[in-house]
Amino acid sequence: MAGYIPVIGLEIHAELLTQSKVFCTCSASFGGTPNSRCCPVCSGFPGTLPVINQTAVEYAIKAGFALNCGINQFSVFDRKNYFYPDLPKAYQISQLNLPLCINGLVPVEYTENGEKKTHDIRINRIHLEEDAGKLTHNDLDGVSFADYNRCGIPLIEIVTEPDIGSAEEAKAFVEKVSLLLQYAGVCDCKMEQGSLRCDVNISIMKPTDTELGTRAEIKNLNSVKAIGRAIEFEIYRQSKLLDMGGRVVQETRRFDDNKGETKSMRSKENANDYRYFPEPDILQVNISDEQLSEIKAKMPEMPDKRLERYLADYAISETDALIIINNKIIADFYDEAVRTYNNPKAVCNFITGEMMRRINIGEIDINEITFTPEQLAKIVMMAETDVINKSNAKDVFRALVENPCDPEKIAADMGFVISNDSGKMIEVIEQVMSDNPKAVEQYKNGETKVFGFLMGQCSKALKGIATSKAIKDELEKRLSR
Amino acid sequence: MIFINETVASLRQKLDKKEISARELTQSYLDEISKTDVNLDSFVTVCTETALKQAESAQKKIDGGQALPLTGIPLAIKDNICTEGVLTTCASKMLDNFIPPYSATVIEKLSAQDAVFLGKTSMDEFAMGSTTQTAFRKKTKNPYDTEKVPGGSSGGSAAAVSAGLCAASLGSDTGGSIRQPSSFCGVTGLKPTYSRVSRYGLIAFASSLDQIGPIARSAEDCGIILNAISGFDPHDGTSSKKSPEDFTAKIGAGVKGLKIGIPKEFFSDAVDTEVKEAVLKAAETYKSMGAELVDCSLPSLKFAVAAYYLISSAEAASNLARFDGIKYGHRSEKGATFNELVKNSRSEGFGREVKRRIMLGNYALSSGYYDAYYGKAMALKQRFREEYKAIFEQCDFIITPTAPNTAFRMDDNITDPAKVYLADICTVTVNIASLPAITTTCGYDKTGMPIGMSLVGNMWNEAQIIGACDAFEKTFTKISPKGGR
Amino acid sequence: MDIQTFENVAELGKLTFSEEERGTLLADMNEIVLIMDTVKDVDITYDPILDNRNRYLDSLREDISAPSFETEKILSNAKASDGCFTVPKVVE
Repeated sequence: MAGYIPVIGLEIHAELLTQSKVFCTCSASFGGTPNSRCCPVCSGFPGTLPVINQTAVEYAIKAGFALNCGINQFSVFDRKNYFYPDLPKAYQISQLNLPLCINGLVPVEYTENGEKKTHDIRINRIHLEEDAGKLTHNDLDGVSFADYNRCGIPLIEIVTEPDIGSAEEAKAFVEKVSLLLQYAGVCDCKMEQGSLRCDVNISIMKPTDTELGTRAEIKNLNSVKAIGRAIEFEIYRQSKLLDMGGRVVQETRRFDDNKGETKSMRSKENANDYRYFPEPDILQVNISDEQLSEIKAKMPEMPDKRLERYLADYAISETDALIIINNKIIADFYDEAVRTYNNPKAVCNFITGEMMRRINIGEIDINEITFTPEQLAKIVMMAETDVINKSNAKDVFRALVENPCDPEKIAADMGFVISNDSGKMIEVIEQVMSDNPKAVEQYKNGETKVFGFLMGQCSKALKGIATSKAIKDELEKRLSR
Repeated sequence: MIFINETVASLRQKLDKKEISARELTQSYLDEISKTDVNLDSFVTVCTETALKQAESAQKKIDGGQALPLTGIPLAIKDNICTEGVLTTCASKMLDNFIPPYSATVIEKLSAQDAVFLGKTSMDEFAMGSTTQTAFRKKTKNPYDTEKVPGGSSGGSAAAVSAGLCAASLGSDTGGSIRQPSSFCGVTGLKPTYSRVSRYGLIAFASSLDQIGPIARSAEDCGIILNAISGFDPHDGTSSKKSPEDFTAKIGAGVKGLKIGIPKEFFSDAVDTEVKEAVLKAAETYKSMGAELVDCSLPSLKFAVAAYYLISSAEAASNLARFDGIKYGHRSEKGATFNELVKNSRSEGFGREVKRRIMLGNYALSSGYYDAYYGKAMALKQRFREEYKAIFEQCDFIITPTAPNTAFRMDDNITDPAKVYLADICTVTVNIASLPAITTTCGYDKTGMPIGMSLVGNMWNEAQIIGACDAFEKTFTKISPKGGR
Repeated sequence: MDIQTFENVAELGKLTFSEEERGTLLADMNEIVLIMDTVKDVDITYDPILDNRNRYLDSLREDISAPSFETEKILSNAKASDGCFTVPKVVE
């Protein structure tokens, strides 16, 4: 079953971070008790009308800029008609022929089979639409419950050309888009909360084929990992099907995360005739050249620009810079910390080392960091200016994570603040040397490895009194006499 | 006391001069409704208690010298305009129990003037029809002859004004639904420029064509009410941001020097001779008052009915899809699955005419037919706008019959939908081209039924057609209906 | 309009008809479609740009959220349970 080329296109839905919903003034934030963020408009009451949110349009355009799209300065909304209990008006306001953004390009870098690859993925369009409500099913009683809190949260749909060739590439693309949208400030891209969702269109073809194969659409993918697994399963399924002389049916399939398989959804889903027509309740949106350049000017710093800045202004390594930049929250945290303590390298090392380590082992929740960049910066500053030992800095940081307060106070309470009493230091060093004449003798005979032992003895007795460097210098000086 | 000849303007004076109290006035109308509406069936819901309460608070405003033009004036509201806490049925089984959780913007605006709401008036189901005989409960009769239809879809609103059961009323007009019943019932009805009046709270039939407007006993009253209900509404993204103006400004200004267009296509053989004659006679009256009559043409009129039904039915099919039995409205007893429940609720809740329109609309929008039907109709909309633009370069407004005929007997004509649709020829282009139009009585046929003429103005020119309409009304002697008494 | 188209259109609008209703309505529809067909021959196409009513971005609603309605009010015309609209099972 070898020799097939996968052809993959993605549809990414991203909820926009507006205050209010796209067509009414209800709050657009996540959650809430059922139907507590609803009004007659978003609940589809008769007589109500959608009034479009300026910021939602602006954010969709920003997403377009982030993904290198062209902007339609004349844009039209359309109705997509279908019955479903999560869609109270029985139509979704969306955009068909004149979406806000068209023809984008997203370069992705990824590693496949140990090989570094780059590829430019073309974006067909980005349009603005409204999210649907949430249904919970009670299989026992055979009823469902509809909650319309999510109805009308602004959503952009990003549609790619079928440019993606593998699961790895698809994953890298989704991560890149997610990063770009976060930098643009338009979406928090929390797949686990559903603020970023992805559908996959996938077909396979032989290298000799001139036409694309029949594609399947996979829905219900709520993590990057699931996207990769679903694609791999689907390539396997379609290849096996074709190898056995079968054919792929054009249909919508659902990914079962537990089994790692895709399953066909009922065929009716596929036979929809959405009867799109221009939404008469919303006037066409015009965007002047001036308004467009205003939005462009408001674009936050995007990842490539930030990389340039980090390399030029902060002089940190590209590897370190990318580690920081590839997480918007970390990158913003880093910038804040550097603002407090202008030592980009030291702050970078502490964040990529100590902080990332604790994030990775789950001690720090990246979405709810309890301490401030200023507090972290202070720890780094204390370590760098010999107020505390570098090794003690880690202990202070751990205490900060557990109980956020002033790091100087933590260091003082833990007895880590170094007094730099050189009289006392010399006294201790001389004492250690006279207590260990054999070791001193060995050192002088060239067995320098005993230095560590002597150093350890001194450090133990000089905790909070002198810095390691000062102890080391003084000990070396005295041993070489 | 019956106020069949009182206008909003004359009642204003009576209230302000304390010749009558707001409560007495409201009570008189309520009494009349309870006495005679059994014969007319114009009201679906009568709001006795709240109306009297509103009258009391209006009286306080009057006593405090803070009366606004509609303070204490008893009005009736078409039953497709949402009123918080008050049944709003669209004269459909589908919404027979529907109590809206909010009020339409026009209701808020009238309330702000302390107008009194007597109740909700019957209509064709979901405003689809021109007879008020598709109503689920109240099939309204014509006050001039209770064997005849009042027209539609705002038949209840027109009949109630005509019979003196309210001082004035609100209707809605998608293809003639204010003007045609006003014409049939011998009252004055105004369809404002599209987007002049907020549609928020008007249960949508066809969003790009619907407008709320007044039905009253004079052009001046229409202007007074339009003053109150028009203006930009943050709840309606299509509502116009034009600054407010006084729509009664041209009352008494006459028509001297104005050019009045007579579009020949509106005087074809499809229109009854009696109607044509009465309208042309009215045109001559204008001429004698110093206006100039100009021949003009709307060449595409022959496509008007088709374009109108395609656009309105397509939008209606989509607008009415929300009635699925889940959130509000009729919920079928039968239906184990969502799909079954929706189908059963809709099939039981909608009447035949509404189903026809939903069928037509979905047909026009469905894949394979869109370009030939809906696409063409939308293109024709632009053509109508261009043709009207050319007309208004020649003249100030045009005069046309409001309907090709006068009110017909209830048992006539109604069974053949195609024939009924074609009768909308005189009114639909106004909606398609977003124009304002006013209808008033210009004569009576040999059976004594009123004949209506329409003045159609350029966009935003309500003040002018109201003024011109008033000029004619001052020369014309109306015959009051028996009013079902 | 043939019977298959009729059934398809009825399904799109979620309407069902008895045998008798179907007969009458199909006849009505065919008569109505004849009127509608008159637009087919008109040689024009819709241009959304011509239809444009020039509403610019800055005149759209500002993004300010306001309190929602009480859940009870939203559900007051519906069959509801636990703050949700009750829906018969959605077959997949």
